[in-house]
Amino acid sequence: MDNLIEMRHVQFAYGQRRIYDNLNVSIPRGKVSVIMGPSGCGKSTLLNFIGGRVKPDVGEIIVDGIDVAKLNRQRLYKLRKSMGMMFQNSALLTDLSVFENVAFPIREHTELDEKLIRHLVLFKLQMVGLRGARDLKPAELSGGMARRVALARAIALDPMLVMYDEPFTGLDPISKGVIVKLIREIGDALGMTSLVVTHDVEEGLSIADQVFLLGDGEVVGQGTRAEMHASEFPYVKQFINGAPDGPVAYHYPAPDYRADLMNGEDS
Amino acid sequence: MKALQGLGGWTLDGVQRWGRATLFLSHALIGIPKIIGRFNLVVKQIYAVGVLTLVIIVVSGLFVGMVLGLQGYNTLVDFGAESSLGLVVALSLTRELGPVLTALLFAGRAGSALTAEIGLMKATEQLAAMEMMAVDPIDRVVAPRFLAGFLSMPLLAALFTTVGVWGGHLVGVGVLGVDSGQYWSAMQDGVDVYDDVLNGVVKSVVFGFVVTWIAVFEGYDATPTSEGVSRATTRTVVNASLAVLGLDFVLTSLMFD
Amino acid sequence: MKRSAVELWVGLFVVAGLASLGVLAFKVGNLSSSDIRDAYKVTARFDNIGGLSVKAPVTLAGVRIGRVSDIRIDSEDYRAIVELSIRPDFDNLPLDTSAAILTQGLLGAQYVGVEPGGEEEYLKDGDEIELTQSAVVLEQMLGQFLYGQAGGSE
Repeated sequence: MDNLIEMRHVQFAYGQRRIYDNLNVSIPRGKVSVIMGPSGCGKSTLLNFIGGRVKPDVGEIIVDGIDVAKLNRQRLYKLRKSMGMMFQNSALLTDLSVFENVAFPIREHTELDEKLIRHLVLFKLQMVGLRGARDLKPAELSGGMARRVALARAIALDPMLVMYDEPFTGLDPISKGVIVKLIREIGDALGMTSLVVTHDVEEGLSIADQVFLLGDGEVVGQGTRAEMHASEFPYVKQFINGAPDGPVAYHYPAPDYRADLMNGEDS
Repeated sequence: MKALQGLGGWTLDGVQRWGRATLFLSHALIGIPKIIGRFNLVVKQIYAVGVLTLVIIVVSGLFVGMVLGLQGYNTLVDFGAESSLGLVVALSLTRELGPVLTALLFAGRAGSALTAEIGLMKATEQLAAMEMMAVDPIDRVVAPRFLAGFLSMPLLAALFTTVGVWGGHLVGVGVLGVDSGQYWSAMQDGVDVYDDVLNGVVKSVVFGFVVTWIAVFEGYDATPTSEGVSRATTRTVVNASLAVLGLDFVLTSLMFD
Repeated sequence: MKRSAVELWVGLFVVAGLASLGVLAFKVGNLSSSDIRDAYKVTARFDNIGGLSVKAPVTLAGVRIGRVSDIRIDSEDYRAIVELSIRPDFDNLPLDTSAAILTQGLLGAQYVGVEPGGEEEYLKDGDEIELTQSAVVLEQMLGQFLYGQAGGSE
C-alpha cells in the first residue's frame, strides 16, 4: 500500500511528561485518515512532527519519502509548501481581509499576477461557500466561517496533504456538518491526502477511511470505520461509546477514600 | 541550599533569555534586507509605531518645553541671566529630555502595542500558521516592525525636542517677557550641532533600537496565553524603561565628558 | 482607499520628523553660521587664559566671527595655545591682528576678542597671532590693587 506518511518507533517527551513511547503510524495516500484520542495525549504534537515544527526524540517521520526531522530549514520550508494546515482556532491573520488571508500563501510563494491570484482565491472561497464574505475581516466572522476561510487558505497552494487540528471543536451542529462535508469533498474531489486530528468520535468516524486511536503513548487501535465499531478492545469500546469508566479510570489515582477521610480528622 | 539552587536556576534562565534574545535579534536583522523590496509592509508598521505615537509625543513635548521655560526662567532670573533661557531649554531637550522622554513614551505606547500584537499573534497560532505556510514569521512579522521602530524613534525624538523648544519660547517669550531674539541667539551660540544635536540623535537611534528589540522579543517570546501576553507587555515597558535610563547614563558619560 | 490614507500619514510623519531635524540643526544649533566645517584655524599663545573654554566665541568689534576650537599647553614654554576657528567670510584679518581674552560683564563668560592691525597680508589657515593679551584674573588684580594701596599710603 502506498503511504504518504510513515512514523516509525517515535519517542517523545515534553520535559518529564512522556507523550509517545513507541508510535508507529502509516497514513495512506489520497485517503481521509482520522487520529483520535483523549485530550492531552499529544495529537497536535503529531501534526507538529509532520510539519517539522517539533522533532521527535527518537524515531523517523517520513513524509513523501523524506525524513522531516533531518531536513535543514530551507528544505523543510520547501516541503511545507506542499502541506496545508487548518488550526484549531483558525489562526487567520487578523489584520488582513478574508480575501487577503487566502491570497497570503499565494502571494508569498508565487509571482502570479493580480488577475490570476484573484481567480485562484475566488475559486477556493467559492468552494467553501464564502465568496461573498471576501471583504470581511476575521473579527467579523463566526467560528464556523473562520474555519472555512482557514480551510480555503490551507488548500490555496493545492497541497498534497491537508492537516486538520480539531476541526469540529466548539462549532454548532450546522457548522460541524459543513466542515464534515468539506473535508470529504476536498479528499474526494481534489484527491488530497487528509489527516484529521480530533476527539469528536461521531464526526471523526463519519469521515474516516482509516482511523487511528491513540492512548498511553502509542496506537491502541486502528482500522476502518466498521472495524472500529466492531472492535472488542475495551479501550476502543470505551472511547467510541464515551463510557465514563473503563480502562481509562474515572478516578484520578488517589489513596483509599475512607482512609483519606479518616486522615483529615487527625489534623 | 535550596535558595542557592534557586539563585542558580534564576541566573541560568536569565542567561538563556539573553541568548535567545540575541539569536532572535540576529535573525531579525538578517530578515531586514529581505523586506526592503516590500516597503509597503514597513510603511504600514511606521504608521502603527510612529504615526499613532505622534500625538502623545507632541503633547508631552509641548508641556515639557513649557515647564522648562517656566522653571528655567525662575532660576535664571535670580542671576539676571534670563537671556540664556533659550540655551537652557534647548540644551536640556537636545541632550537629555528629548531622547530619553521620547524613548520612555515610545516604550509605553508603541513598545507595549508591539509586544501585545506579536504576543497575540503567537497565542492565536498566527505565527505557527505562517510557519506551516512556509513563511518565516520573523522575516514577515518581526523584521518590518523592528525596522519601523528603529526608523521612527529618531524622528519622534526630533519632533519632541522641536516642539519643546517652541513650548519654552511660548512661555519664556510669550508669557514671561524674555526677548525673542535673545532666546534664539543664546540657543544658537551655545548649542553645537555635532556635540549636542547629533549626540542627541545618536542617543535616540540607540534607544529606538533597544526599545524595539525588547518589545518585539518579549512579544515573540511570550507564553502563548492571554495571561502570558499581558505579563510580556508589562515586562516590555519595565525592561525598556530601565534599559533606556541605564543606557542614557552610559551614553552621556561617553559623549559629554 | 485606506491604504493611501496610511501612506499619506506616514509621509507626513516622515516629512515632519525630518523637518524637525532640520530645525534642530539650523535654528536651534549653529549649523547656519557655517563656522565649523569651512572655518580656517589660527592659533594664539597666552600666558594665562583664565576661565576660557572650548566653544567660547571669538569676536571682532563685538561681532561673533568664530569660536575657540581647541585649548592645549605648549610643553616647552608652558604657555597656553588656543586654536581659533574663524568663519571663512572673515578672511581679511591682517597678519598683525592681536587677540585678547576678555570677559562679558564683570563676572560673565570669557571670550576672545580680536583687533585687526595694519598689515597688507592676511592671516591664513595655520598662522599664529603674535600679539596677545592674557586674561585678567580678578584675584590677581585685586591683589595688585591692595598691594598698591598699601604701598601708596606708606
